[in-house]
Amino acid sequence: MSSDSVAISVKNVTKQFKVFFDKGSSLKEKVLFRKRNRYENRVVLDDISLEITKGEAVGLVGHNGCGKSTLLKLMTRILYPDKGTIEVNGRVSSLLELGAGFHPDMSGRENIYTNASIFGLTKKEIDERLDDIIAFSELEEFIDNPVRTYSSGMYMRLAFSVAINVDADVLLVDEILAVGDANFQAKCFAKMQEIKARGTTIVIVSHSLSQIEQICDRSIWIHDGKIQMDGIPRDVHPAYMDLMGKMRKAQLAKERGEELEEDDDSGKDEEAKTRWGNGDARITRVAVIDENGKENNVIRVGAACSVRLDYEVKNKVTDAVFGIGIFRADGLNVYGSNTRIDGCRVFDINESGSLSIEIPVTAMLAGRYTVDLAIESGHGLPVDYWKGACEIETYSNNGDVGACRIGHEWHFSDPALKDIR
Amino acid sequence: MFKEIYNYRQMIFSMVRKDLRGRYKGSVLGFLWTFINPLLQLIVYNMVFSIILRNNIEKFYLYLFVALIPWIFFSASLTGGSVSIISQKDLVKKIYFPREVIPISYVTSSFVNMLLSFVVVVAVVLFSGVRPDPLGILCLPVIMLVEYVLCLGMAMITSAVTVYFRDLEHILGIISMAWMYLTPIVYSEDMCPERYRVFLHINPMTSIVAGYRDVLYWGTVPKLSTLGEAALLGVVFLAIGCLVFGRLKKHFAEEL
Repeated sequence: MSSDSVAISVKNVTKQFKVFFDKGSSLKEKVLFRKRNRYENRVVLDDISLEITKGEAVGLVGHNGCGKSTLLKLMTRILYPDKGTIEVNGRVSSLLELGAGFHPDMSGRENIYTNASIFGLTKKEIDERLDDIIAFSELEEFIDNPVRTYSSGMYMRLAFSVAINVDADVLLVDEILAVGDANFQAKCFAKMQEIKARGTTIVIVSHSLSQIEQICDRSIWIHDGKIQMDGIPRDVHPAYMDLMGKMRKAQLAKERGEELEEDDDSGKDEEAKTRWGNGDARITRVAVIDENGKENNVIRVGAACSVRLDYEVKNKVTDAVFGIGIFRADGLNVYGSNTRIDGCRVFDINESGSLSIEIPVTAMLAGRYTVDLAIESGHGLPVDYWKGACEIETYSNNGDVGACRIGHEWHFSDPALKDIR
Repeated sequence: MFKEIYNYRQMIFSMVRKDLRGRYKGSVLGFLWTFINPLLQLIVYNMVFSIILRNNIEKFYLYLFVALIPWIFFSASLTGGSVSIISQKDLVKKIYFPREVIPISYVTSSFVNMLLSFVVVVAVVLFSGVRPDPLGILCLPVIMLVEYVLCLGMAMITSAVTVYFRDLEHILGIISMAWMYLTPIVYSEDMCPERYRVFLHINPMTSIVAGYRDVLYWGTVPKLSTLGEAALLGVVFLAIGCLVFGRLKKHFAEEL
């Protein structure tokens, strides 16, 4: 690999933070409470090396505190490594903080200049980009109003437009796509793909694996300061999710304490907490399909989607019932039903097969939902109950509120208002 | 490094503009404070030092004023400069840019403020009847530049150190007051006992104040030695400032 095709080169980088037990930075505290100045060195990144080629889009994944954001900050040169070197070739734009340096009393236009200047653009360069920035933000009418009159959505739109139009060679993004309303998120998303197509190197830190999957062609999983896995998202993410699931279970087990330890004696594996049943049949694969027939669990509110599952039958299941339950992130059971409730005829399953649960209109409003899938036999004997079998993330194109979108129309009796629907 | 700072000139420009616009935001008199504030200070000092503590300096108000305005600039750079990085914490923690931009912007905006105050200085000079030497007036920008260099050096030191040692901000309040009285601003150099006078010359502000006075009070051309001394000390302080700042800047984001 020739050196000029490398955009970011990280060599043997170690970074540690001093974690003070009780930090005081004033003289009094430093002198009087000498003992309190004890700290421990926490190694956040431990001898990491990696190379990112020009034009590559890389996602950094890992649990909270694993060091992925630190790595990103090292790349932007906000932090400096304790050991090792980091080289970044080309102009860097970082989307770590949107709207940095915005002044509420200045107009949108003036703030574009202020904000863009922080990215190191000169006046001439900003002049060239001004029209693009304003057009992308869709704030043409308001651009000369003071920013304090903007709604938070408008504010974010303006901030993102500036950051994204810097035309950097390397774009570093931290959880940026989680801001703004879902509609603008979709637009940002499209813009990111456009930027990637232009050959910009992109590094994204995100907890939304589906977003990384859609933009990135490489995913680096950082675990406890080391690179655990580096490869295509499709390979890395399942391994990551698997470990996350195990960690979560271990944590749950800890919370429940002794009681569980006794349970565990029975030899049932940890999986029992999210999956149980007699094992006569088993769901082997679950996928969420979007309206275009593609496997994608990010669904627009109002669009069609379906949940597909493959199942394997070991022993014949008589009087089988398939069920689905949809839960919001806060635990609200948004909807649940099964083949019996829906009045399907009684049936048995003998052979492995697949099932598609078609949802013509996705009613759940923007948010994250987990889906439970279950196969039961007779009256409630679980064959395979899989809690959190898959996730659906929905985004909305308007601001309606609640849990679900309920179809409705507006009808006035006043003939003058007949046109309002 | 200098090239990089030059690339970020637009950022310096917009930070200065933002600072100047935001400085008197919400006050009734607004920008007029730039002129009123030094005038009021002049009245106070003049009352104390020419009516109560009498001295025999002719046109004392002018003698004081041409030194007071540059002093205010210096003292602002020293004390205000010290918190400049802390107050831009969000920026420093989230975005990369050459950190030097912050003290440079702060000192520049204080400098612009001083230039605006010079409108009042010019008015007072004209009112007093002093007719400055044209060649002396040409020296004025040089003196200002030297003071700017000195102030920048100071602000770089204090801003960087304060990030690690927050008490400095408060200590500097006292230092600044003491420094003012150790500089011949409310008195003249020859009022200081001869054997202590050498200490006045370690103080870089002494020769700078002398330079301003030569031009605007005495109406003469400042001596080359005065200018040279001031320039030398200014450059030394800036060099120290760059060194200290360069050392400390790498861990700003962690300390804030």
